[in-house]
Amino acid sequence: MSTEALTLNNVTVDLRQQRILDGIHLDVSPGSFTCLLGPSGCGKTTLLRAIAGFTPLSQGDIRLGARSITHLPPEKRHTAMVFQSYALWPHMSVGDNLGYPLKLRGVPRAERKRRIAAMLERLELGGFESRAVTQLSGGQRQRIALGRALIIDPPLLLLDEPLSNLDAAIRRSLRSELRRLQKSLGITTIMVTHDQEEALQMADQIVLMRAGKVIQVAAPQTLYQQPADLGVARFLGVDNTVTRHEQDPTVGSRAATFGFRTRDARINEPLRPATLTRKGRVTECVYTGDGYQISLDTNEAELFATANSPIALGTFAVLQVPESALIPFGPDDRHLPPLDRHEDIA
Amino acid sequence: MTTSSSQVHSLAVPNRRLPRISLGMLLVLPALTAILLLYALPLARSLVTAFRDSSGAWTTDHVVRAFSLYGRDMLFSVGVVSVSLALIAAISIAISGYLVLGATPWAVRLLRWLYRWPLFIPFVVTGQIARSFLATNGMMNNVLVETGLMASSSAQSFLDWRGLVLTFAWKQVPFVTLLLAGAMAAVDRSHIEAARNAGANRLRCLFEIVLPQAAPSLWVGLILSLVAMLSVLSVPMMLISGNPTMMTAMMAHRITYYGDYGIANALGLFSYALTAVTAWVYLRLTLRREATA
Ligand SMILES: Nc1ncnc2c1ncn2[C@@H]1O[C@H](COP(=O)(O)OP(=O)(O)OP(=O)(O)O)[C@@H](O)[C@H]1O
Ligand SMILES: [Mg+2]
Repeated sequence: MSTEALTLNNVTVDLRQQRILDGIHLDVSPGSFTCLLGPSGCGKTTLLRAIAGFTPLSQGDIRLGARSITHLPPEKRHTAMVFQSYALWPHMSVGDNLGYPLKLRGVPRAERKRRIAAMLERLELGGFESRAVTQLSGGQRQRIALGRALIIDPPLLLLDEPLSNLDAAIRRSLRSELRRLQKSLGITTIMVTHDQEEALQMADQIVLMRAGKVIQVAAPQTLYQQPADLGVARFLGVDNTVTRHEQDPTVGSRAATFGFRTRDARINEPLRPATLTRKGRVTECVYTGDGYQISLDTNEAELFATANSPIALGTFAVLQVPESALIPFGPDDRHLPPLDRHEDIA
Repeated sequence: MTTSSSQVHSLAVPNRRLPRISLGMLLVLPALTAILLLYALPLARSLVTAFRDSSGAWTTDHVVRAFSLYGRDMLFSVGVVSVSLALIAAISIAISGYLVLGATPWAVRLLRWLYRWPLFIPFVVTGQIARSFLATNGMMNNVLVETGLMASSSAQSFLDWRGLVLTFAWKQVPFVTLLLAGAMAAVDRSHIEAARNAGANRLRCLFEIVLPQAAPSLWVGLILSLVAMLSVLSVPMMLISGNPTMMTAMMAHRITYYGDYGIANALGLFSYALTAVTAWVYLRLTLRREATA
């Protein structure tokens, strides 16, 4: 089975008279890696389960390639899902877990054995066939769960926070391993995560969700530099917002608010042209490893900036953000399109 | 600090451990006495009686006579119990499976509410109900004839082995289902979803994912049902008039009409053996499972 495109059209889900997903439209191109990103409870898992067939739609249509799968039971959809808890069957060995999807498809025993061995090699778990799944480490279970999903060459791979149960080091290595595997197989993949760093690193396309709605669909760079509104921006680490002043850079002259990231704001450096500056009293100074994070109390807001050396509390300091790092928002808190910049400059 | 002081304490007064043991003994004693007096002793006595003649000499006479007189009843008992267990297992699996995997919420709720009722009806009443339901002119045949599904001439009594099997199943299915459905509900939901995602339909999910994980409870339920069926007297007495019948009926017959405890106990011996073998098989199975897990 080759990889296929996924199309969601007005997908709406109600659970117990409550609207959980609200008119979701989404196009996922074949072979791409899409991340569903959003705060806890926004409906990411529900969307994934709706695609896999475990949550009925109250409206809308889901298409895989040319066929509609909206009304198919889960077992007929041929999607492959990796569960957050891995859901390995404890009464089966590692080999039987991997082989069960093949058994269901009537693959003969010898062929099954060969493909299980090949998959274990690929997962760098060669010779694990007869192990009990209860004796595996978290990272090994995760890989077996992934192998069980991939062994049938599914047209669509669905991952629900596959890395969130693992510790930071394994997580980083599995992240690139997973991405490499996905690229080499060219399989259309949708991954749920609430870790923005994970999404930015892995995805071709990020779907940002909030309260059951899709807010923005964009490539990682676009999402990072041009978040659709202030809420999205805050979710993507834009911790600071200031109202625009007269003397501020001309970029986005229609902007009511500027957002910027803490690491783009410097403290007490020689003033450069075309920068946004604010003055305030230092209220906190925290070592972060790369430098110091300074909290600055200005008249209008508390702002955060980065300094190379510690700064005494209570002193006054000047915060400076280069024009290129400013993200302009209109009076309605929506991002002003980059087109505006050109107009303003002209 | 605390450890050293307690050590000193126990060194200084070594006999302080003694009262503690006797306190433990005191707590266990009532249960132990009850088991010894009410269970172990009668069991031993009945075993011994099975191998003693009236003068008190050892003999295998009772056992041999029990087999020659009641061999057919023993086979009948084994047959009825086996068929009943198979039926109980099949229905319990079907009901629990539907409770866990059913797709129609209201039907699942209704079934969950309905299936337990027979649990609260004692065996005697069950026997009475079955009698009036299964007899030649009982309710079942009446309904079949009234609705025109069966000619009145072909109405026959179900008060034989079939009646026994149906009655036992009716009484024991809710109990086994209660155990099995509980165990199935405890199976992680994501295990079922992972299987369906892998391409398993509901039926395969039931037999290949859910049932294997819940099987220990099914075995426990079936063994307890076996014991119940081998020990109940009222149902075979009420449903079956002639021969062959269940061993309990024969044991009661032997005692009430002949005062012959020897043969009655020899028959009892057979019941013990049957349950013991089943329990042993079950233990072997669970131990092997635990060793591989
Ligand atoms: N079976 C259900 N019945 C009713 N409401 C549900 C059910 N499952 C989820 N919800 C609700 O739907 C909303 C979305 O849940 P969902 O699990 O999709 O969130 P999520 O984005 O995956 O969150 P997280 O990041 O915490 O996993 C939540 O408000 C939740 O309370
Ligand atoms: Mg979730």
